[in-house]
Amino acid sequence: MKLIREIWQSIVRRDPLSTDKGKSELVFLNVWLHIHPAKVKKENLRFKHSFYLGFITFFLFIILVTTGIALMCYYRPYPPQAYQDMKDLQFAVFMGPFLRNMHRWAAHGMVVCVFLHMCRVFYTGSYKKPRQFNWVVGVLLLLLTLGLSFTGYLLPWDQLAYWAITVGTNIGSYAPLIGGQLRELLLGGHSVGEAALLRFYVLHVAVLPSLVILLTIVHFWRVRKDGGLSRPVWKLKPQKQEALVTIGAPAEAVPLHVAAASTDKTYGLMEVVTGKPIFETITPEEEEDTVFSYPYAFVREAVVLMGTVTTIMMMSLFMNAPLEEMANPAVTPNPAKAPWYFLGLQELVSHSALLGGVVAPALMVLALLAIPYFDRNPSRRPGDRKWVLWVFTLFVVANIALIIVGTFFRGPGWAWVPPWVHVVARPE
Amino acid sequence: MNRRDFFSWGTVGVAALCSAVAVSLGAVGRFLMPSVFYGPPQSFKIGDPADFPFGSPTFLVDEKIFVFRDREKGFAVASAVCTHLGCTVAYFPSDRDFHCPCHGSVFSPTGAVLHGPAPRPLNWFEVTLTRDGQLRVDKDKTVPPTYRLMV
Amino acid sequence: MERKLQQLFFALSLLALVLILVAEWQASTPSWKPYQRKFLQLEAQEEPNAVSKAAVLATPLAINQVVLPGLQRVDRCTTCHLGVEDPTMKNAPGPFHYHAGLGPHVPSKFGCTICHGGQGLATDMKDAHGNVAFWQTPLLPADYVRASCGRCHKEGDVPGVPELTEGHHLFDTEGCRGCHKLNGVGGSIGPDLTEEGANHRSPEWLERHFLAPNAVSPGSAMPNFHFTREQARALTYYMLSLTSGDMGSYYSSERLIPSPEYGRQLFVEKDCIVCHAIGGIGAKTGPDLLGVTKRHSAEWIDEQLVNPELVYPGSSMPEYDLESNARKALVAFLASATPEDAQQMLTRKGHPLTPKDAAIEAGKQDFARFGCAGCHGTELQGGLANPNAQGEQVPSLLHVSDDYTKDEVIGIIRDGRMPPLDNVKGPTPPLYMPSWKHVLSDEDINRIADFLWSKQQQKKESW
Repeated sequence: MKLIREIWQSIVRRDPLSTDKGKSELVFLNVWLHIHPAKVKKENLRFKHSFYLGFITFFLFIILVTTGIALMCYYRPYPPQAYQDMKDLQFAVFMGPFLRNMHRWAAHGMVVCVFLHMCRVFYTGSYKKPRQFNWVVGVLLLLLTLGLSFTGYLLPWDQLAYWAITVGTNIGSYAPLIGGQLRELLLGGHSVGEAALLRFYVLHVAVLPSLVILLTIVHFWRVRKDGGLSRPVWKLKPQKQEALVTIGAPAEAVPLHVAAASTDKTYGLMEVVTGKPIFETITPEEEEDTVFSYPYAFVREAVVLMGTVTTIMMMSLFMNAPLEEMANPAVTPNPAKAPWYFLGLQELVSHSALLGGVVAPALMVLALLAIPYFDRNPSRRPGDRKWVLWVFTLFVVANIALIIVGTFFRGPGWAWVPPWVHVVARPE
Repeated sequence: MNRRDFFSWGTVGVAALCSAVAVSLGAVGRFLMPSVFYGPPQSFKIGDPADFPFGSPTFLVDEKIFVFRDREKGFAVASAVCTHLGCTVAYFPSDRDFHCPCHGSVFSPTGAVLHGPAPRPLNWFEVTLTRDGQLRVDKDKTVPPTYRLMV
Repeated sequence: MERKLQQLFFALSLLALVLILVAEWQASTPSWKPYQRKFLQLEAQEEPNAVSKAAVLATPLAINQVVLPGLQRVDRCTTCHLGVEDPTMKNAPGPFHYHAGLGPHVPSKFGCTICHGGQGLATDMKDAHGNVAFWQTPLLPADYVRASCGRCHKEGDVPGVPELTEGHHLFDTEGCRGCHKLNGVGGSIGPDLTEEGANHRSPEWLERHFLAPNAVSPGSAMPNFHFTREQARALTYYMLSLTSGDMGSYYSSERLIPSPEYGRQLFVEKDCIVCHAIGGIGAKTGPDLLGVTKRHSAEWIDEQLVNPELVYPGSSMPEYDLESNARKALVAFLASATPEDAQQMLTRKGHPLTPKDAAIEAGKQDFARFGCAGCHGTELQGGLANPNAQGEQVPSLLHVSDDYTKDEVIGIIRDGRMPPLDNVKGPTPPLYMPSWKHVLSDEDINRIADFLWSKQQQKKESW
């Protein structure tokens, strides 16, 4: 018994959780948990503040990695075996359809959640100083997520995959000068074929996931180092803005409004680093509002984790991932559509290839990346930034509307066909 | 708040989570267990009995078996896989024994280990006659070296 | 609040546990398992004692599959159709009965879908039978399964499937090649038919199409040839058999059926009667072949056909480079060949032709074989409807020498021609004369022209 306790103690190396010291040590002595602060602000735990979208996205990524590795055991990335392997998963492998469904729905869910997460961060103004760079990292993660989903789309090697990728990569080829070569580089040929399948596989299972993991680490680290979750906007009082500290060493001429160092409260090595803390500080009266991460933050995260997992499992039980006939370069389905998240783009491209396929998306990405550096208004309160909020809302609504139009209102020949009208493509 | 209740719900939750994870791991195990096999089957027809010569055994490369045919005793099928580490043994008619190229194990014509590191004699597989008069070998059924099929 | 969250966490974890168990239960109860259990019960009934009964019932359930790299497919049909190869299951119910009359085509060597269609990889009845979205080759209706014989047995004659032979014959004589390419030879007005059997068209569609092309594909340029129902069926069979899919060597070596009928065809084709006689009828250069199969073993004749010099040093018989099954077919024919057969062959050969007549005869054959007859008619009568072309129809060739010189006609065949329009502003006529210079040699074209002119003279003489 004593030995067991000794072994347990050698693993956890902390005081009992009934003590405050134990609760703190649980967090900062644990490699997995130490990304959390030992104590968090109560209001930041509120569901309606962040909707835990970042967590949901992360948990979906975990689901994708685990199911993805399992699926890799049954997948050969060359045609026509790739398609045969899909059929094997569907008909012969134990729980094959379930795991494939989980992977598919989690992937779609991740695209949705990463976008919603971005919206939340924008609407709460959380990209503002000192968090500008973390917003940039977030935008890169959004692009990587789209890349992961797009490369994964080809792998089943069915008609849906083949033509979605054909259309999708052709949108990219409208880029001036380099577009054509870029497409050849991505496909390893002039059209989607064996080489493209292998390249997409390599990107999907090795390159992009590694990049996502690397950037996720940076993203989390910066969340913590930039002062944790931004405070809910409803907690911001006008006079508090004075207490906001600017980033790093400012230009000499600019005086810093820094709260007295002695009242700063941080948990970590940052205190021994010379200089001033760079994040929102906690004043003594706010100290009252904090609680230990254990169990308050963890139980919420656990609930979100299980909510995410059960939702995906439920969807996977009742909805099957699509699998059409085997890819056939000779037969183009009518209409041939890109993956849904690119249908807004395809809709734009149908009106103007250069404007819709190159200029609009390039501007969109550049604008997203530049937002924190152009929006110099330090206030995070909605009342102070009406104009920006309207522009962003317009951007979101336009995106969603275009995707809805592309998905539901476009029929054979990209003609306007509302979803309630049934049209049969003209026979040859 | 009742402290005891507080902790018991959390603990029960963790217990439920752990069992869900355990069941999931089991499920993944079953997922990874192959349900169909694309390799050569374990039980297969090797052809008409008349196709096999008397005397020295016939070696079937893909199936990794030796087919013995004896005028008096009939058919027997020996595995060509060394019981040491799985290399393919060769038959030497001059010495009438099997040699393993990997670690020098030598087996007698009955499959017994003569010397070398092999821990067990060579396996002998059941051979039967199908309805259409062909020989069928079942690698899942091992038999004693004395087993013979008379045709 | 905190307590509620913990309860929620517990509830969700429990839900996850339940969901994973449901998913596992779902995965462990696939629809093929009840069939296998039923089959084991059937088999157990035959067992004499309780011990062996129990042993049969204890057989583990598993997906059975036939891996056929040579036919590029994996068939799992035998997961449920467990008795197909077992003659004792002749009267078994449901999916278990024995498939009689397969000959060498046992499922363990050929699978099922190569003949029947369907989705071999599926393990669920609906999916396997292929009547589901996104599967293009559902089970062929029973009436058409025999058409699949022609997918492998492309040459020679398939005993028991006269439709294939008839379809092939119609294709060659009705001039289909005038518009359609097959294996690289033919016109380009209609679609290439080389892979028609792999185009996933339903047999019913094909058959209706042959009876009335415009009724099933409106606007089709294909004229109505007024085929009979039987002819439409035969052509449908032939279409279903058209694929160029590669087969493994095991299958391609067995492709030819060594039937006596095919042997007879070869005997005629290779002109054996020029050197040999059967029962005294024929030439005397080689030995008389009557009863040769009684004098020599089949192996001996086979050897003789492969390498005549080896058997008879100094033999003047040429090597014919025949496939093994073609040789078997010849042997099969020789076993039953009679002097009457030889007489028939000699009669059909007729008198030796003069070089000029031979050229006209060859031109006539080219006219049929390359599909000129498809539009201009087997009797050169023309007359197929061709809207907005001059005269609204394909011209008759009976009076071609009145309007053109021979060189002009040769030019038209070589380079093709758009028919003169009735109404210059009207639509382009669906049928036109394609260019043949890439398909036919100049010699072929000259012969066809000779044949046309021979018809003109006959016409004038008869007036």
